[in-house]
Amino acid sequence: MIDSFKNLEVITFPEIANITFRKIEKSYLKVILINLSLLFLVLFALLFVADYINFFELQYTFLRFYISLSFVYLIVVFIKIIGLKKRKYAVREKDISYKKGLFFKSLTTVPFNRIQHVEIDQGPIARFFNLASLSVFTAGDSSEDLKISGLLKEDAQQIKEYISNQIDE
Amino acid sequence: MNNTLNFSQFRHQSKKGIVIIYLNLLYKVFKAFWLLLFLFIQKFAKIPENTLTFIYIGLGFLLLFFLIRAFLIFKNFQFKIYNNHFILKKGILKKTNTSIPFDRIQNINYKQNIIQQIINVHEVNIETAGSSKAEISIKALSIIEAKALKKAITIYDKKDAANEEEIIEKPLLKIGFFELIKVSLTENHLQSLLILFALLVGFFQQISYLFDGLGKREILDNYISENTSTLETSVVLIIGLLIFFTIIAVLSSVVRVVLRHFDLTVFIKNNALEINQGLTTKKSVVLKKAKVQHITVSTNPIKKWLGISFITFKQAISGKVKKKQDKVIKIVGCKKAQVLEIKNLLFPNENLEGFTKNLPDIYFRFRLYFRTLILLILINIGLFFGFENNYVFGLNVIILPIFILFIKLKYKKRYYFFNEELLVVGQGSIETHKTILPFFKVQNVKLKQTIFQVKKNVADIVFQTASGKVKIPCIPIEKALLIYNYTLYKIEISKKSWM
Repeated sequence: MIDSFKNLEVITFPEIANITFRKIEKSYLKVILINLSLLFLVLFALLFVADYINFFELQYTFLRFYISLSFVYLIVVFIKIIGLKKRKYAVREKDISYKKGLFFKSLTTVPFNRIQHVEIDQGPIARFFNLASLSVFTAGDSSEDLKISGLLKEDAQQIKEYISNQIDE
Repeated sequence: MNNTLNFSQFRHQSKKGIVIIYLNLLYKVFKAFWLLLFLFIQKFAKIPENTLTFIYIGLGFLLLFFLIRAFLIFKNFQFKIYNNHFILKKGILKKTNTSIPFDRIQNINYKQNIIQQIINVHEVNIETAGSSKAEISIKALSIIEAKALKKAITIYDKKDAANEEEIIEKPLLKIGFFELIKVSLTENHLQSLLILFALLVGFFQQISYLFDGLGKREILDNYISENTSTLETSVVLIIGLLIFFTIIAVLSSVVRVVLRHFDLTVFIKNNALEINQGLTTKKSVVLKKAKVQHITVSTNPIKKWLGISFITFKQAISGKVKKKQDKVIKIVGCKKAQVLEIKNLLFPNENLEGFTKNLPDIYFRFRLYFRTLILLILINIGLFFGFENNYVFGLNVIILPIFILFIKLKYKKRYYFFNEELLVVGQGSIETHKTILPFFKVQNVKLKQTIFQVKKNVADIVFQTASGKVKIPCIPIEKALLIYNYTLYKIEISKKSWM
């Protein structure tokens, strides 16, 4: 019987565990918070309207809904703040990796020679903080393989150029 | 081969194509308006005579209109080969000009539906890996033209084109009618039943619209509720229904398999597989070796006993097109020797024998139990709110052992091993699947861990290819990292084209 793992040890190859990952920009937290707050503002507004016209025809007050929604808001913000620290990326000679997740951790690596195209986009709020997100696409049915949000615009551009050069080789 | 055929000038398809296009148009219209037609026939007697004449005239004009349209579509549909590109002009008012370079062409497939079989023309489909817009379908070509076109296109990228003439026309695999019946009887009947159900539900919705329109909704509702109330009381009826559904399930899989795989013949040509099959719609598919991303060899207990298995080929699919059926190619009824031959064709000089199977961590079983528990709770909540009767909870007694059996099988059948080039992943519950994936076909690798998996030091590893995912769940993190690194290494040093 051949053991697949023993069989491989003849070759040494680069290890993903040994590379240093870079954190994404801290200012991206502001973008996330503003986006979240806007979303919850809309939710609160809806709740307020429902309260005002007494949409559910309830006897008791609406206070409990306001409180629970605020509670949800706080929890989500808390998770986002911690989760942000877990978002890290690394660009190596031949591939790009991205780590994320607090409860559901994941690490994805896309080799450059499988990349079809690279995209940079900026939302209105991210633009204000000079941040951008970088998306990497491969062929086939995987719609978006890797998306790194919260990079400095210049960094994103630099990575994009680097990858484009590598693909063309 | 007929050498007088010359594709350097623009040419039309076969004149019989008008018939095909015409019938196709009519079929589309019929499919959209069949309900209206049904209503019309029902009220037929009530319509006064002169309105009827108008309707007939209108109908006649409509038919004529579509005939003219079909003719114009035919007239404006022209194609040629120029400078290693396939060029197509079409469109009556909105003219489109498509040009596809040969090396982007993935497959050239022939198809014959029943009408095309009658008037003896072939539909030629040119598949590209790129955008869905570039998919080209030539509705009617004579067999000589079709073959010549295919040759003109494929000759370019095969340097050993000269060898093509020497192919021995002996099929690797030919499934006769009785063998096919054997295959179909051992299919997954539950799946066939579900497919049939899905069809019926769609049909039922249309029917209920119809009843709605006629204002007879209540009759249908009453009919259904009457029958369901008896269903709750009568055990005999339930057993009867079970038997009925079993028969229906078996019949539907027989029909499905025979329709799709009738006269299945597989040739090996030029390092590619040519697969011909189908009863009402004859299909001929060429599977290029390089385009196959991974294959799965599957069997189930009865098939195993008969010594047959089926092979599923996954090709690279383009992003937006979701015609799954076309992209997944299946060969049924393979004997062991044939499986081996196909494996040797796709992955020559690879030894996959004698490897120890690496099993998933025990956490995998725990996770299966955990997920099943959640499912069970959900089912019971559903039962609690759905039924007044407390006896329905007895259902748990039946489903619990089934679930446990499934988990045991699932855990037992999970394994993986790999040699230098290929990864082999085994899985299944009642059926057994073995997926073979060359490392260099992978497009990205992902390591996933939930917070519980972090504690147990296990991880899921997901290989994304151009034709879907292959997953190894819950293996020790050190091993997962080793495979991760190795896969990346293999992709990054690979110079071969992967799709």
